[in-house]
Amino acid sequence: MNRRLWPALTIGLPALFIGYLFLYPLGRMFWISLSGAGFVEVFGSSRFREAAWFTLWQAAVSTVLTLVAALPVTWAISRFSFWGRDAIRALVTVPFALPTVVVGAAFLALSGRGIIAILAAHVFFNLAVVVRTVGGVWSRIDPRVEEAAAVLGASPLRRLREVTLPLLRPALFSAAAIVFLFCFTSFGTVLILGGGRLRTLEVEIYQQAVSFLDLGTAGALAVIQLAVVVAVLVISARLQTRATELTLSSETNLSRPRGRRQRTAVVAVVTATLAALAAPMTVLVVRSFDAGATGWLELFANDGPAATRTLPAIRNSLVFATVTAIIAVVIGGLAAAALARRGRGAGWFDTILMLPLGTSAVTIGFGFLVALDRPIDLRGTLLLIPLAHAVVAIPFVVRVTLPLIRSIRHDLREAAAVLGASPARVWKEIDFPIIARALAVGAGFAAIISLGEFGATSFIARPATATVPTVLFQLLGRPGQVTFASAMAMAVLLAGLTAIIILSVDRLRAGTTGSF
Amino acid sequence: MLDVRDVTVLFGEKAALDGVSLTVATEEIVGLLGPSGSGKSTLLRVIAGLEAPRSGIVAFDGVDLGGTPVHERRFGLMFQSYALFPHMTVAANVGFGLRMQGLPDNQVDARVKEALAWVDLRELAHRKVDRLSGGEQQRVALARTLAPWPRLVMLDEPVGSLDRQLRKRLVEDIGRLLKQQRIAGIYVTHDHEEAAAISDRVAVMRGGRVVQIAPYLELVANPADEWVASFVGA
Repeated sequence: MNRRLWPALTIGLPALFIGYLFLYPLGRMFWISLSGAGFVEVFGSSRFREAAWFTLWQAAVSTVLTLVAALPVTWAISRFSFWGRDAIRALVTVPFALPTVVVGAAFLALSGRGIIAILAAHVFFNLAVVVRTVGGVWSRIDPRVEEAAAVLGASPLRRLREVTLPLLRPALFSAAAIVFLFCFTSFGTVLILGGGRLRTLEVEIYQQAVSFLDLGTAGALAVIQLAVVVAVLVISARLQTRATELTLSSETNLSRPRGRRQRTAVVAVVTATLAALAAPMTVLVVRSFDAGATGWLELFANDGPAATRTLPAIRNSLVFATVTAIIAVVIGGLAAAALARRGRGAGWFDTILMLPLGTSAVTIGFGFLVALDRPIDLRGTLLLIPLAHAVVAIPFVVRVTLPLIRSIRHDLREAAAVLGASPARVWKEIDFPIIARALAVGAGFAAIISLGEFGATSFIARPATATVPTVLFQLLGRPGQVTFASAMAMAVLLAGLTAIIILSVDRLRAGTTGSF
Repeated sequence: MLDVRDVTVLFGEKAALDGVSLTVATEEIVGLLGPSGSGKSTLLRVIAGLEAPRSGIVAFDGVDLGGTPVHERRFGLMFQSYALFPHMTVAANVGFGLRMQGLPDNQVDARVKEALAWVDLRELAHRKVDRLSGGEQQRVALARTLAPWPRLVMLDEPVGSLDRQLRKRLVEDIGRLLKQQRIAGIYVTHDHEEAAAISDRVAVMRGGRVVQIAPYLELVANPADEWVASFVGA
C-alpha cells in the first residue's frame, strides 16, 4: 500500500467513525440538555435527588463489598500455585463477560427484587476486576521483601499491613475506581432488580427519555453523569503512582501453600468463592425448569409468551454480533496499527479512542437516538444497532489487539530473513499469524459485547430489530409461572452462547498478556 | 572463508564503520571485542545483509555477496535479544530455517531433535517460547541459529543478559558446539575474558575501526597501543 495513504487511513477512518458516531451525538445531546427544563430545575427535583443519592451510595457500598469479597480469593490465586489454579482464575473472570440481563435474571431467580439483590449482583459481576487488577500486582511482589520484613521481626499481620497492602495500594485504588464506575453507571441489573423503585441515574435517563419522552431532562441527567464519571477518572489517575514498580519483578512469584493452616485457608477460600459464583447460575438453570420442560418449549412455541419472537431475536443477535465484530475489527484494527507506530499525537488519539469506555451505554444509545437523523437518517436502518455496539466495543478491541501487534518487533522480521525467509515469506510466517490472532481475539471480544449489550440497544431497538437481551427483559417484566420459566430458559441460552465465545477467545489468548 | 574488505557504513554524517577489513577462515572462530558503540553489531548486520555498506565488499568463498539478499546468504545470526518468534513453540522456532530450505517434515523433525539435544532442551520442544526462562531462551536461540547448517554463524553478545556463573559455562558450550559442527563463527562481546575463552583470533574494534587482530595472548603480549592494552586487560 501507498506509504502516505496507509497512515492517513489508519488514523482517518477511526477518527471519522468516533467523530460521527460518538462525539457528534454527544454534542447534540449537550445541545438538547440546554433546551429542556434546564439544569436548575433538574437539580431541584426530588426524583433527581433520589436517583443521585441512590446511585452514589449503592456504588460506594458495592465497591467496598466487592473488594472485601474479592481479596481472599485474589490472595489465594496470586500467591500460590496449586492444582487447577489457571482454571479457577479463568472461571472467576467469566461473570464479568456475562450479559447484564443474564446476571439480573439470575439474581431475580435467586433472591427476588431489592437492594440486596442489586448489591450481590454488582459483587458477582465485578469480582473479576479486582482479581485481575490487584492479583496481577500481588503475584509480582518479590517474596523476599516480605521475608525481609519477617526477619526484621514483623508478624504476619504486620507484614500485611506495613508491606503488602502499601505495595498493593495503587492497584487497589485503580480496581476500586473501575468497580465504582461500573456500579455508578449500572443499568440492566438495576432496571431488572430495582423494580422501577430503585433507580440509578442511568435508569432515570432511560425512564425520562423512553417513558416520559422528556429528552431535555434526560440530556441534562446524561451530562451530569458524564461529569461525575470524568471527575472519578481524573481523581483515580492522580491517586495512582507508579513508584512501586521497582519492587515488582517481571515474573510471577508463586509458591505452594505451606503447612496445614495455609493449605486449609487456600482450599476454603477458593471453594467458597466458586460456590458463591456458581449459585446464581445454578439457580437460573434450575428455575428454567419451574414449569417442567414447558418453559423451554413455550420459548419456541408460536403462541407462547415470547410469541414467535425468540427465534428472530436469536437471529438478530447473531447477525448483529457478526456485523459488530467486522466493524469493530476493521476500525479498531486500523486504530491499533496507528497506535503501534507511536507517531506524534499518539497519546491524544489514544485518549479519544478510549472515551466511549468512560461513557455509559445508555448515553451512547441516547445520543444515537437524538443525533443520527443527519446527514442520512440512520435510525431506521439495520446498521444502527451494530454501529452502536461497535462504538462500545472498539476501545476493548484496541486494548486487546495493540499488545499483540506490538509484539511483532522488527528484529523478528530480521531473524526470519537471516534464517532464509524471503520478504513475502516473512509477512506470511511472522506478521500475518500474529496480526490474525490479534484480530480474532478482538472479534471475539466485540461479539461478546454485542451479544450482551443492553443499555444502548434498549434505546434504539425496534420490534423488528429486537435482540435476545431486549426480549429477555420484556419477558422478565411479565407475570406467570411459565413466562418466568421461559425467561430463565432464555437467559440460560444467552449465557451459553456467550460462554462458547469466551472459551474460544481464551484459547486464542493463551500465553499472551494484556489487560482484560 | 569470509572476506570483508574496506567496508564503510554511514549513519547520517557519522561513520559507524570506517574502512573495516576482516577475514574468517574455515572453522575459525573470530572474537569481535570492543566497547558499546564501536560498530560490532553494525559489522554483523552488514555481513548478514541487513545493512547495506556505503562502500566495500563482503565475499564468501570468493563470491561477492553484494547482490545476494539476506535470506539467500545461508549465514546464521543470533540476536542479542534472541528474537524468538512468540507465536511458535520451541520446536517450530528451531525448525524455522529448515522449513525455509524446503525440507520435508520428517527431516525437519529429525534435525530439530538433534539441535535441541545439543542444548539439552529436548523435553521442552512443545513449550511456547514465552514460557521459558532467560537461559532457556538463549539456548533455543542458539539451536535455531545452528540447526539449518549455516556456512558461518554470528553471535551478538549471546550470553550478555545472563548471570556470570551461567555465562562462563555457556561460552564454553558454544565454543565446543561450533568446533564440533565445524562451523566458522564471529563472536561479539565487550568482555575480554569471554573473547579469550572462545576465539582463535580476536579483532579489537574502536570507533568503527578494527585496531588490531591477533590471537588473544599475542594481543596481551604485544598490544598495538595503550588503549588496546588497557581494554584487553594486559
